[in-house]
Amino acid sequence: MTKTLEIDIRSAEGLKINRRLIKKKKTFAVVKIGEKSRSSDLDDSGGSNPTWNFKSEMPMKGSVQFISIEVFYRTRCGRDKKIGEARIPATDFMGRYSHEGHLNFLSYRLRDEYGDKCGIVNVSIVVKPHSTETTMFMASSSSSSFETPSIDGYRGRIVTGLPVWRVTT
Amino acid sequence: MGNCLTGDVAGGKQAIGGVQQRPTSTTTNNAAQNDAVDFFFRSRGQYPLFSQIELSLSASNLIDRDITSKSDPMAVMYLRKKDGKLEEIGRTEVILNSLNPNWIEKITVSFQFETVQTLVFHVFDVDTRYHNVPVKTLKLKEQDYLGEATCVLSEVMTKPNRSMTLNLHGNFGAGVSRKLGTLSVQAEETIASKTVVEMNLRSVNLDNKDLFSKSDPFLRISRLVENSIVVPVCRTEVVDNNLNPIWKPVCLTMQQFGSKDTPLLIECLDFNTSGNHELIGRTEKSVAELERLCQQREAINFVYPSTSHGRNKVLKGQLIVDRFVEKIQYSFLDYISSGFELNFMVAVDFTASNGDPRTPSSLHYNDPSGRLNSYQKAIMEVGEVIQFYDSDRRFPAWGFGGRTADGHVSHAFNLNGASYGDEVVGVEGIMSAYSSALANVALAGPTLFSHVVDKAAHTASQSLSQNSPKYFVLLIITDGVLTDMAGTIDALVRASDLPLSVLIVGVGNTDFTQMEILDADKGRRLESSTGRVATRDIVQFVPMKEVHSGQVSVVQALLEELPGQFLSYVRCRNINPVGAPAI
Repeated sequence: MTKTLEIDIRSAEGLKINRRLIKKKKTFAVVKIGEKSRSSDLDDSGGSNPTWNFKSEMPMKGSVQFISIEVFYRTRCGRDKKIGEARIPATDFMGRYSHEGHLNFLSYRLRDEYGDKCGIVNVSIVVKPHSTETTMFMASSSSSSFETPSIDGYRGRIVTGLPVWRVTT
Repeated sequence: MGNCLTGDVAGGKQAIGGVQQRPTSTTTNNAAQNDAVDFFFRSRGQYPLFSQIELSLSASNLIDRDITSKSDPMAVMYLRKKDGKLEEIGRTEVILNSLNPNWIEKITVSFQFETVQTLVFHVFDVDTRYHNVPVKTLKLKEQDYLGEATCVLSEVMTKPNRSMTLNLHGNFGAGVSRKLGTLSVQAEETIASKTVVEMNLRSVNLDNKDLFSKSDPFLRISRLVENSIVVPVCRTEVVDNNLNPIWKPVCLTMQQFGSKDTPLLIECLDFNTSGNHELIGRTEKSVAELERLCQQREAINFVYPSTSHGRNKVLKGQLIVDRFVEKIQYSFLDYISSGFELNFMVAVDFTASNGDPRTPSSLHYNDPSGRLNSYQKAIMEVGEVIQFYDSDRRFPAWGFGGRTADGHVSHAFNLNGASYGDEVVGVEGIMSAYSSALANVALAGPTLFSHVVDKAAHTASQSLSQNSPKYFVLLIITDGVLTDMAGTIDALVRASDLPLSVLIVGVGNTDFTQMEILDADKGRRLESSTGRVATRDIVQFVPMKEVHSGQVSVVQALLEELPGQFLSYVRCRNINPVGAPAI
């Protein structure tokens, strides 16, 4: 089952390269779900606390376990070099504490290729309720979403079957 | 003193004052005002006998402590308490390369008419190695001391113009008496008002003041007080190398700009790393006039004051207001009185570190003479406050770390011993549930908060799905020795995006340094083991021994961070008080 995620990569703080705060580099962020990715615009003022406020909508399959946010900087030659990456587990914005349509403000630690800490990224995520689902299904699942075991990667969704044909007697 | 380059240029180029910060950050330098505490006392007929005063500081002729450049001064204000110790009230920002700084950050203090309030000011030169560090976290012992001054607040208030100039003196050792400069203090009464104005400003056709490149312009907005005193209110960030700069949005509270008709002085300056910023142009407009400029899409030309002709030279450079929004920033009380419910939950520590309840030294001692033990005292005092704010007086009450009747150690068992529900009614309900639990539950261990935090988070998230305007506060009364710091931090980070605050009340005499880490007051955000960082600071720690020794009242301590944490939640989600018009 595919969901639509509205992701807003808002800002980052304390960006570091080789354990030193970056000073004049222009940075941008990329959100990746599976194979698809979207990049934000460059933050012109540069520095270690960029603000992007980059909103994008991306589809997410039910089997996805995490989405990743990568932060790059653009060198003067025009090449993009990676500063660090953060992985957001899908359970942080779906499941226990957040229901659909809830605006989640989340922050994650960025780590570079060596595993060193290189900053914090702030995002906000809303899982858009899928329009083709039936409303009865939504009401029944929200009350017992803590007990039922996960089936398709989403914690606590009850699978309802809709009959496609009826036997007429 | 770092490298030869002139100091923390990047830090100096950042905006100060009325510029939008992270939505989840709470205000600083406001040590005295607390809505929740004022309301609590007013309901008992105790009206506050003080008014809020805002102090603006400036200094001149400071001594130079840096070798290749001038000092980067910052001022810290303390209150001298009855025992002679100094308590820090607030700090200004750091101004680069200036021996005559005019600080923008104001320090708020409550002016109590009946007491003598001795204010002590220390001026420091901030070392260049502190790049972009929030001023609150600077360790003063590591900075260079430039001098100090003392005055009494009532003296400042009674002077004409409410301003005083003090000579800085220092304790550098015997035989050293140099001129250390002067410090000026300007006091103003703050008007609590809710209107906030947000503007997007930009300029075109500015003059070029730099030799080999273009100007680096920034705006400084000041308020003109009576008798032509200029009080700087806010400064935008510096845009490098640009004669048509667009600045980030500027957000001014009515406290900062006075009234919509108060004239504001807007100066456009060219940033120089030497600290001598060159004036490009200036203009005087009130907030109402800026609103009109935006609506009619007009621009205003900067003028350059020229002494020779006696008239100001009108420049080609113009100031344009792209966007003007007037918002109302609701206060904590606005939300509460509109119907926002505060729901309290209580968790009591039943671990063995409290001591056997039968021994008199135990924190859980059941005194046959009827004297309250530490926990009972804490529950009574704290309960009085929370009962006031919780509308239905029904509190879920849990215990943790105890071995219940079925033989298992539980970290979130119902205090009332019932299996059907965990609620008790009123403070007396908590007390009776506590006494009965003490009889039925054996103290065990270890001290884990994560289970009760998870339970509270579960309750908060369930109310979210029902869309009801509720905010939850979990009160953990503990003796303080936390076993599972990592698990607790994980639970707190998971709960940091929910309408929940956690107040940890520490009883007994243990060392509570662990709790200070959880409280995250020094600016370090909590980080879980999965790499997630806490969205906001939801913890507040209150040590009861400070309350009992009279240093701070329990109401003040408990409710200190609650309005800030509550507002950080509702404001970043644009939740307005119930029934209030949506902006």
